[in-house]
Amino acid sequence: MKRTLALVSTAALLLAGCGVGGAASDSAATSFAPGLTPDQKVSITLESYNFGQAGAWSDTFTELLGEFRKQHPNITVTGQKPQGSSSNPASDSVSSVQAQLATGNPPDVAQLGFSDLDFAVNQLGAKPLDDLVGRDAVQANFGGAHPFAPKAATLGDLNGKTYGVPFVFSTPVLFINATLFKQAGLDPAKPPTTWDEVKAAGLAIAQKTGKDGAYVDCVTQSAKDWCLQSVVRSNGGHVISDDKKTLTYADAPAVGAISMLQDLVTSGASPKLTQQQAVETFGRGDMGMILESSALQGTFAKGAKAGWELQGTGTPAFAGKPVVPTNSGAALFVLSKDPAKQRAAWELIQFLTSDQAYTMISSKIGYIPLRTGLVDPPNSLAAWAAKNPLVKTNIAQLNAMEPWVSFPGTDYLQVRDGMMKAVENVVLQGAPAQATLTTAAQQGAPLLTAGG
Amino acid sequence: MTTSRAMTAVLSVGETRRPVLGHAALAVLGVVCIFPIYWLYATSFRAPEDIYSLSPFPWPLSGANYATAFQVLDIGGLLLNTTVMAVGIALGQLLTGLLAGYAFAAWEFRGKQLLYLVFVATWLVPFQVTMIPNYALLSQLGVLNTIAGVVLPSLCSALGVILLRQHMQGFPTELLEAARLDGRGSWATLWTVVVPNLRPALAALGILLFVNAWNEYFWPALVLQRSNAVLQLGLRSFMGSEGNDWGPMMATAGMACLPVLLLYLVLQKQIVNGFVRSGLK
Repeated sequence: MKRTLALVSTAALLLAGCGVGGAASDSAATSFAPGLTPDQKVSITLESYNFGQAGAWSDTFTELLGEFRKQHPNITVTGQKPQGSSSNPASDSVSSVQAQLATGNPPDVAQLGFSDLDFAVNQLGAKPLDDLVGRDAVQANFGGAHPFAPKAATLGDLNGKTYGVPFVFSTPVLFINATLFKQAGLDPAKPPTTWDEVKAAGLAIAQKTGKDGAYVDCVTQSAKDWCLQSVVRSNGGHVISDDKKTLTYADAPAVGAISMLQDLVTSGASPKLTQQQAVETFGRGDMGMILESSALQGTFAKGAKAGWELQGTGTPAFAGKPVVPTNSGAALFVLSKDPAKQRAAWELIQFLTSDQAYTMISSKIGYIPLRTGLVDPPNSLAAWAAKNPLVKTNIAQLNAMEPWVSFPGTDYLQVRDGMMKAVENVVLQGAPAQATLTTAAQQGAPLLTAGG
Repeated sequence: MTTSRAMTAVLSVGETRRPVLGHAALAVLGVVCIFPIYWLYATSFRAPEDIYSLSPFPWPLSGANYATAFQVLDIGGLLLNTTVMAVGIALGQLLTGLLAGYAFAAWEFRGKQLLYLVFVATWLVPFQVTMIPNYALLSQLGVLNTIAGVVLPSLCSALGVILLRQHMQGFPTELLEAARLDGRGSWATLWTVVVPNLRPALAALGILLFVNAWNEYFWPALVLQRSNAVLQLGLRSFMGSEGNDWGPMMATAGMACLPVLLLYLVLQKQIVNGFVRSGLK
């Protein structure tokens, strides 16, 4: 009886598992997608995590699609959010495309994170736009009356070709509770500019107000590594070599940067919290500083209405070294294999990265416009930028920015998680930095080439 | 004599203490169970700027989060869709469970045991294993992004089949024999003899299945990609990369709980029966 049950269970598992297939990469050369004829009707899908969030996000994107429809009556775009059950729809972006690829029906345009660039190109079959519509057309889209910030324009490039058009974007900002600064006898008009000053201010706040000092959002596995890369690079280090063949986060500059983060915690300047806890503590007004994505400004501004003053400044530096901000955010990729849909997808991408679209996106959602000239008077976003002074901080950081580097291969998430787990152990659990990071890098190294 | 009197006194003190301690422990457990629900409603009534407050009593009370929830989401539409989905799934599972359970309990046929084991085995297969094949099938049928797509793969539940088979096996065979002698066919026997007698069990199971379906989140999140058409997805739409909008989320969660809480209040006896009969918690 037991054996029969075991056999039946195994058979059921095997049969049920048959449908689970990995997404095949599309290595075939991409040919030019000809322009659409005036009477040619095309329907495409746009997958964006913005459709998963109620309020300004989904409303603005629905409005954008309406505007696009007016300008391109023959192209019907259906918006959809990534499928999956993560609390943050952006976390499901890649697995959603994989699942739809398995059914042979991936979205035609997908908004995917910069850290997924390598995987999007090599595993999800993202099409090289240079081949699809010509390099000149791609570069022309980055130009126009208000061109893309030069550092932003190349964020979707891999191996010399443009695969993704950078779309939405944020940089790390040191948010400050000016009220707590004053209570601790500090001057919020002179916010910390180096990590030593952050430590000193954090300790002063913790000791004099009894509240938390400073928190850095890149010390836990769930927070991902985008701003950790900024801290490491600001100390002259890297998390992976330029040729993406060696993990370098156990080298001296990276270990030095992560040890500094550990010292913030062991000295008492920084609390032992998860990212979510830290965001809520800061939002409640119970924390002096937090290094977080500029996209959280709206959340913090809402919390500050309870009676504390919110300010912000750029990413702190290591004494005597230049700051290297990195970016978080996403690009638009074409995944369609059908030439007509590919061309329609390109028309949509051009529209979504136009002056008109950025004006709507920035003023309604709050993302930084990658066409940075729009914030200069008398352009369309000048009034909005005047009301949101952090925009200027962000745009200034954009000029010094280096890309958030993606890990290669099919196991790229495991490589990143292994690194972040080690960082979490060092910073929050007090594990020895050098030994812990070396072990993690040794375990991660074989994964770089696996399935890549 | 004195010693035994003293022992009796100690025992009686112990005996009276035991229920007091038991009640105290249960009261603490009760508070622990109720606290998250209290916190949910407390948060939903906080003013938006106090949303991160740790004060146990929200003051001043505010309905702003409910107003935002209604403004951002079509709460009525979500409630209707969720009800249609949950009722559809519960009825489907009851019907298939009833028919299959009846066949397994009342009929003798070749391969019966093996077939029953296959049903049991499907219960052991984790949902994550079947989700992609199910998704591919729905894609081919063209019912992705519809409530029908959510309901279709959930129409048969091994739990329903197993439980109803167990109930029917305890059904007196004499009654079935009598029905047969009366000239009733299997179909008529099922609906005129078996079902009326199984009504309490069917009601209890139906409620259990409805509550399960109402709380379903994972599968609708996969199938309904182009909308947040059910309550559980509507709730998630307040979460995102730029922080979570806790106030309207708690207000929507509070409203999502109400139908199930009302159902529980009205049908408390049947629900408790359902859990006791199924041995599930």
